[in-house]
Amino acid sequence: MALNPMEQFTIKPLIAEPLFAIAGHPIYFTNQALLMILVVAASSLFLTLAVKPGRLVPNRAQSMAEVSYEFVANMIHSATGEDGLKFFPFVFTLFMFVLCSNFFGMIPGSFTVTSQIAVTLALACLVMGIVIVTGFAKHGFRFFMLFVPKAPIYILPLLVVIEVISFCSRPISLSVRLFANMLAGHTLLAVFAGFVVSLGAAGGLFTGLAIAPLLLIVGILLLEFLVAFLQAYVFAILTCIYLNEALHLHDHH
Amino acid sequence: MAEPVSTTATTEAPKKEGGFPPFDTSTFPTQLFWLVVTFAFLFTVMWRVAGPKINSAITNRRGVINGAIAEANKARTDAETAQAGYEAALATARARANALAEDTRQGLNAEIAKAKADADAQAHHAMQDADARIAATRETAKAAVTAAARDAAIAIVERLTGDKVSAEDAASAMGN
Repeated sequence: MALNPMEQFTIKPLIAEPLFAIAGHPIYFTNQALLMILVVAASSLFLTLAVKPGRLVPNRAQSMAEVSYEFVANMIHSATGEDGLKFFPFVFTLFMFVLCSNFFGMIPGSFTVTSQIAVTLALACLVMGIVIVTGFAKHGFRFFMLFVPKAPIYILPLLVVIEVISFCSRPISLSVRLFANMLAGHTLLAVFAGFVVSLGAAGGLFTGLAIAPLLLIVGILLLEFLVAFLQAYVFAILTCIYLNEALHLHDHH
Repeated sequence: MAEPVSTTATTEAPKKEGGFPPFDTSTFPTQLFWLVVTFAFLFTVMWRVAGPKINSAITNRRGVINGAIAEANKARTDAETAQAGYEAALATARARANALAEDTRQGLNAEIAKAKADADAQAHHAMQDADARIAATRETAKAAVTAAARDAAIAIVERLTGDKVSAEDAASAMGN
């Protein structure tokens, strides 16, 4: 067992040779790639195979699929209204990808895809890209009114600066929130697991003491399951809120 | 752990042991490549297969449930109409029965009144007859009493005086 709690975040090629190169960058088949494929395969298989449209009374698996569908649909509807529903496939994909990545990361010995800043930042940039494209497509240059809140004219310059900074920091906050949560939780688990191992190996009285961090791990593990869901939810709901602003500017507040 | 040395083309130096793995930029191209591939795949599945499938399952069920509710509502309306018809028929029948009973009662009352009046008239008639008979009897009796008294008076006078008194005299003497 690796005692370095950061070891679990190392991306390791599962095939030593790069598969190919894109613009000079070698592309490997890594543990993270395997997990991404598993996540995507599991969620797409689950959501397609569990559901039979003719089934009047859903079984357990179909209920789960329908609940997640309606959960995301309601989220979009409440945050952006009727016209936000055209983003449903995107938000649903985002939510399921993050959720399944988080949960697959909870399997001991696996890899947490969302504990990589490259992944979360790419997803956040995708979200902001869609927000910006939507905003300009719907409002043209009036989209810049997003940075001009309703306020007395003499404090407007200050507010505009604040709004611009807040808008530009969104991809950072969106990505770092998910990344840091996953990273911190898994690090904490590894640290306490390391305590259990070293105390257990110390022998004598220390072996008995190893029960304390073990119990703590159980608690943190439960908390981590909550965080895994919560962070996927937060990522999706913030996406909806940003999309709402792009669709309705400040009209909807 | 066999650390990969992925420095073939990137400018990144080989990763040092103990570095912070998420900030190892040499892994970024690989990460982004797989992210794009898997995310695009999942998006396509959600957009084209899973989303429509789940949506049709939900809409199907909603349709069936709404259909059943509409059917139940129709059945209830039908039942209510039927009940209203039944109640109307019942009310008509009851009204007819009441009218019939009233007619019968009035007919009977009239008959009873007529019978009573007949009986009254008969009784009155009988009473008048009886009264007349009583009056006649009384008159006869009175006449008989007077005659008897006169005869008695005549007899008394005759026994006391020896005179024969005529019936007329005796009658006038008795003031009668």
